[in-house]
Amino acid sequence: MKPRLAFFDFTGCEGCQLEVLNFEQELLDIISAADIVNFREAMTERSDDYDIAFIDGAITTERDVARIKEIRERAKILVAIGACACIGGINCLKNFYPMEEVLRIVYGESAHYYDTIPARPVDAVVPVDYYVQGCPMTQSEFVKVVKALLTGKKPEIPNYPVCVECKMAGNICVFEKGETCVGPVTRAGCNALCVTNGRTCWGCRGLVDDPNTDSEKEILAKYNLTPEEIIAKFRMFLGYSEVAK
Amino acid sequence: MKYEVITKEDLPPFVNGLLSEIEVVGVKRKDGKFYFDRIESYDELCLDYDVTLIPPKKYLLPPNETLLKFSLGEAIQVEPFIDAAPRIILGVHPYDIKAIELMDAVFSDSNPDANYMERRRNTVIVGVDCRNPSPNAFCPSMGTATTETGFDLMLTDIGEQYVVAIGSEKGEELLKKHARTRQATEADLAQRKAVREEALAKYKLSIKAAVEEIPELLERNYDHPLWEELAAKCLSCGSCTMVCPTCVCFDVQDDVELNLTGGWRFRQWDSCMLQGFAKVATGENFREDRTSRLRHRYFRKGNYMLKRYGKLGCVGCGRCIGACLAEIASPVEAYNRLKEGS
Amino acid sequence: MREKESIYLPKLAELVRTEGLTERERLFELKLRNGDELGHQPGQFVELSIFGVGEAPLSISSSPTKKGSFEVGVRAVGNVTNALHRLEKGATVGIRGPFGNGFPLDRLKGQDVLIVAGGIGLVPLRSLVNYIEDNRQDFGRVLLLFGCRTLQEQLFVGELDHWRASKDFEYYESVDRCEDPSWKGQVGVITTLFPQFTIAPEKTYAVIVGPPVMYRFVIAECKNKGIPDDQILLSLERRMKCGVGKCGHCQINNVYVCQEGPVFTYSELKNLEEAI
Ligand SMILES: Cc1cc2nc3c(=O)[nH]c(=O)nc-3n(C[C@H](O)[C@H](O)[C@H](O)COP(=O)(O)OP(=O)(O)OC[C@H]3O[C@@H](n4cnc5c(N)ncnc54)[C@H](O)[C@@H]3O)c2cc1C
Ligand code: SF4
Ligand code: SF4
Ligand code: FES
Repeated sequence: MKPRLAFFDFTGCEGCQLEVLNFEQELLDIISAADIVNFREAMTERSDDYDIAFIDGAITTERDVARIKEIRERAKILVAIGACACIGGINCLKNFYPMEEVLRIVYGESAHYYDTIPARPVDAVVPVDYYVQGCPMTQSEFVKVVKALLTGKKPEIPNYPVCVECKMAGNICVFEKGETCVGPVTRAGCNALCVTNGRTCWGCRGLVDDPNTDSEKEILAKYNLTPEEIIAKFRMFLGYSEVAK
Repeated sequence: MKYEVITKEDLPPFVNGLLSEIEVVGVKRKDGKFYFDRIESYDELCLDYDVTLIPPKKYLLPPNETLLKFSLGEAIQVEPFIDAAPRIILGVHPYDIKAIELMDAVFSDSNPDANYMERRRNTVIVGVDCRNPSPNAFCPSMGTATTETGFDLMLTDIGEQYVVAIGSEKGEELLKKHARTRQATEADLAQRKAVREEALAKYKLSIKAAVEEIPELLERNYDHPLWEELAAKCLSCGSCTMVCPTCVCFDVQDDVELNLTGGWRFRQWDSCMLQGFAKVATGENFREDRTSRLRHRYFRKGNYMLKRYGKLGCVGCGRCIGACLAEIASPVEAYNRLKEGS
Repeated sequence: MREKESIYLPKLAELVRTEGLTERERLFELKLRNGDELGHQPGQFVELSIFGVGEAPLSISSSPTKKGSFEVGVRAVGNVTNALHRLEKGATVGIRGPFGNGFPLDRLKGQDVLIVAGGIGLVPLRSLVNYIEDNRQDFGRVLLLFGCRTLQEQLFVGELDHWRASKDFEYYESVDRCEDPSWKGQVGVITTLFPQFTIAPEKTYAVIVGPPVMYRFVIAECKNKGIPDDQILLSLERRMKCGVGKCGHCQINNVYVCQEGPVFTYSELKNLEEAI
């Protein structure tokens, strides 16, 4: 039987689901190998029966907590897609303000209608089987995870910093251009997309397993970032991890 | 060795002649840095540069290379895949030529690697002497500032003309076919020698130990606290090895078409500095701590390669020095620290 | 040297039989599709491909005296090994090799052999044991020590029965722990077997394969019995990608395990910093 795939979104921009739609031909190939159910952006028909659940968005309310637990129970395999689901992402910036203040900033007078809890990645609430990192999620990695699921293997996701791919791409290091970057502690897999396109890495793919964040902070300081700027640099995407606290 | 002379005016027609026959890669400029890339005409070419971001190894051992193609399903079929399109690499500095000689040794040793060897046979190397070395280079210490081997042709800029050393029949043929040259005179060769010596004086870094001394210097200092001190700052980012012309380790993986009708096996650059390099499936990691990985890199460069292939694993290009944000990858500093401490 | 063909191209092989050994290990009998013999030595390994998944180095578990096919015994721990466990009879895999040096049969011949197998270390050693059995007259005394953690982890139980009963071998075994009252054998780690026998150290070769933690203790016991360092042989496991001395993964200091190994003498290893 074809595996049944389902997509769910939590707090985020839904950019990651749109990334899936952008595949077009590749997505069609996936569909020929699997059935897709419960994909809000693309299909109207829903089903509560699925083998693999793809989750995008961070968990930011008590309702989210209950919902993700229910999805986890129904899904055989749960895949977090995008920075929000995988590492909390920029949602976690709000964790550095008191919650009432966050509500007031976002919703103004109607703040009391909403509940909010500190934002967290999916795996802070339920176990996650696979991750597709990135903001928006790295398309090639999504395909990689799907292929791995189809062939029954564990996807080979890099556990080394973006620098590796940045060098392979032949880029000039952004530090050499007088800018700064968290690529040296961020998980590769994006082919150093941002640096290759003239920007710098903000860590949207999360930290490698054994990051030397102390050394990275020293380097940022050496390149004239103030302690506040360094913290801000780390908080952008890595706010949920210890290094930004 | 035979030497010819080509005027600077005659160089563009020569290069354009080569271009009419075969793919040519040469050095281009971007944002004040240099890199090897395919050129379409002489005008894109830069022959006076200090060092390229990535060494020409990328044309002999591509960052990502398909090794096999296979079909899946009922009757599995497998075929080797070798992409070895003929190519000239133009403007290779002597230290990078020395590094290619080391790669040749690695890939031809005991189990010759067909992918590399095919490509190598189809690659013509036209070197150029380095007149303005990078501030991080220390080639004279490694004996790699100039070379008499490893090239098909080697250019030296002596002002209004280039002396061309002829290193192979293939090189001679190409030169005959596409260039107007004359035989070099004693005076030309004297000038070539002077130019080379002038360049030698421009290197800023040097190793305080003689090159023969390095293997033993390392061996004596396997447990030196230096390794731990450096490793504390190491990001395990692999930059020092990715940019190194003598680093040739690779990983191998399979990939499949989404419809599972077939797939391919590929290799890609890997690095002993990366955390998982020596880790096996049961979780054991034979170089788990940064110190043992960092030390392994230094020893591979300064000791192991020599023992195995008869050539040191460092050619003094200094790319690692420039690439390491933590400023701990410099062979010059490491060897000098050990030398001073001994 | 000019290469004949790609060293990365596997030969196709058919899975002709599979058999469960324990909960985690299975035995796979393979036949090269072109009808060739593998042509290996005990202690060598192959790189086995599951196309689309990857390649893994695996010791050859059968003796070269067994013609027509060969066997590997595999613990499911990752991508390739799990995929292999899912394959059924008739499936196609890829084989490169045999690679590595294997056990030095020339040196072992005419000598006493002390074989020490810990857990799945028995997989490669079984090749040697079966080879010796088929050429028994070439060897002196043969002592066989097998230890594993629990009774459930004993592999090749049929063959263990045979060795226990055989006059060809002096067989000793232990399990680290055991709740089964019917087990009359030794309980304890493998080194607890050493006081049970004596040897003539000058003409004894110890051949040891097991998990990394085992080596130090077993080497100490062998030295204790007076076996010279260059008569203590070990097979090392390292990460491998190419199996042919190119990829750098298996390197221990200056040594390539896939080339100079996987079998080493203790004298070769004792000064190799990262080895044991
Ligand atoms: C010389 C030698 C003989 C071996 N013999 C046997 C045997 O007879 N039976 C058995 O069950 N196991 C054996 N192993 C271990 C076996 O190779 C690993 O368990 C296997 O590679 C794991 O691959 P995987 O794809 O299932 O795991 P993954 O974790 O998915 O590994 C991915 C890749 O990492 C590499 N790798 C991971 N672990 C190891 C390892 N331990 N050794 C080498 N490379 C590794 C391989 O290239 C593998 O393809 C042997 C290893 C070596 C070096
Ligand atoms: S170790 Fe550094 S200086 Fe030596 S060859 Fe490699 S990159 Fe160049
Ligand atoms: S030595 Fe420098 S360049 Fe090399 S891995 Fe460590 S931090 Fe990166
Ligand atoms: S496994 Fe590649 S060098 Fe040994």
